[in-house]
Amino acid sequence: MMTNTLIDGLKERVSNAITINQSVGVILPGNNYSDLIQALLEHIQSRPQDVWVYVTITRPYESIIKQFGDQYIGRNIKFIDCISRAAGLSKIDPNCTFIESPAHLEKIIMEIMDVFKDKENNVQKYLIIDSLTSLLIYNDAQLVTEFFAQLTNRTRLSDIHSVSIAIEEEMNDNINKIIYLRSDKIIKLRESFI
Amino acid sequence: MSEGMVISEEGETVENVICKTGIEELDVQLDGGIPVGNTVLMVGSSGSGKTTLCMQFLANGARQGERGVFFTITEPLFKLTKNMQGFDFYNKKLIETGMINLIDLRIISERLGLDTEKYTVEDATALLEVLKDIADELNVKRLVIDSITALCYRLQTKEMIRDFIFKLGSSLAAMNCTTFLTSEVPPNEVKYSQYDIEEFIADGIIFLGDVDRSGDLIRTLQLIKMRGTAHSRIKSAMSISSKNGIELTPLLKSRA
Repeated sequence: MMTNTLIDGLKERVSNAITINQSVGVILPGNNYSDLIQALLEHIQSRPQDVWVYVTITRPYESIIKQFGDQYIGRNIKFIDCISRAAGLSKIDPNCTFIESPAHLEKIIMEIMDVFKDKENNVQKYLIIDSLTSLLIYNDAQLVTEFFAQLTNRTRLSDIHSVSIAIEEEMNDNINKIIYLRSDKIIKLRESFI
Repeated sequence: MSEGMVISEEGETVENVICKTGIEELDVQLDGGIPVGNTVLMVGSSGSGKTTLCMQFLANGARQGERGVFFTITEPLFKLTKNMQGFDFYNKKLIETGMINLIDLRIISERLGLDTEKYTVEDATALLEVLKDIADELNVKRLVIDSITALCYRLQTKEMIRDFIFKLGSSLAAMNCTTFLTSEVPPNEVKYSQYDIEEFIADGIIFLGDVDRSGDLIRTLQLIKMRGTAHSRIKSAMSISSKNGIELTPLLKSRA
């Protein structure tokens, strides 16, 4: 019951923010990570008319599906998994594009834009980056900053709304600055506040 | 082919007919495309994507009604077509209808009775005439030689190499044919040709390289020179996928 209330609260805050703003940054403690992902997936499921791209750098695609269930694999969501292939998993899945390495940031941008390229103009387009702080495990902080700047420039020009996640415990100054600078709205989650 | 305007050396605005590669980001970097008739050196080490880019250039041209020819010296035709079958841009019909012609230069050499290892001046002249005749008869607007390095290996002196490429480029330019010559170089070296001559005769140089990032190799493409166009010189990250073929995006600059 407690978890449901928490997820409902998260869902409401994130869905309100993303509808209004072009670019939303979500900073949260690590132990609320799973609740946020569930809230996001439930929100996506409730909006079948929208197109979503979910870029995962934190957990492998299969692990997300195992934990949250394959009911979230709908026609309106495409996953881009940046870590499985580097870990030696090379499955082929029509719902997921596997990037060779999380260090190939340009390829991540190309794949994101490629999914949205053929979508009609009247469709609402959304992107989730999960997470900017996970990219720091594989990349220099300056490079991640540049990646985020280039990505947000391109998503804005293509009318793509984005949700960029950052785990509080893994934040550094670069990510902190860029997420505040580049986001139209920041949602900072605190356990007590939720 | 499409038209644009350029400033001539005399400061006048003149018409410039361009050949679009059909690779969107590359055409943007080329300020529209390659000036028609240019001879372009496509430089890269083994596996850098030279052949794929050249085939995509021909396929995109063929779809716009521009006939092309691909002369291979380095790999048999069946291997070439097999490797291309995985790409969406490749369509067997383009070959069957003669919009793209694939020719094994080694077979031509054999038929001309040329020494397969070393060409004399007469051999080189004979080969040049055959190449020109084929381009003329087929009325090709796009031509690829893969690779010019392997061809230059058979030419015995630097003068012969210079003469061959210059005459080939001039003849094809007169036919409004845009030419790609692939140039094989060792990996991780800023070198545009094996014999240090090819780049001075070519009108353009496209360099395919890679950068090491955390042990992973990221493919890159950079326009080094392109006569007749105000081209970009930025280094782009390059991707090769079955769906889109060659794709480019600005390379992120590591400060690590």
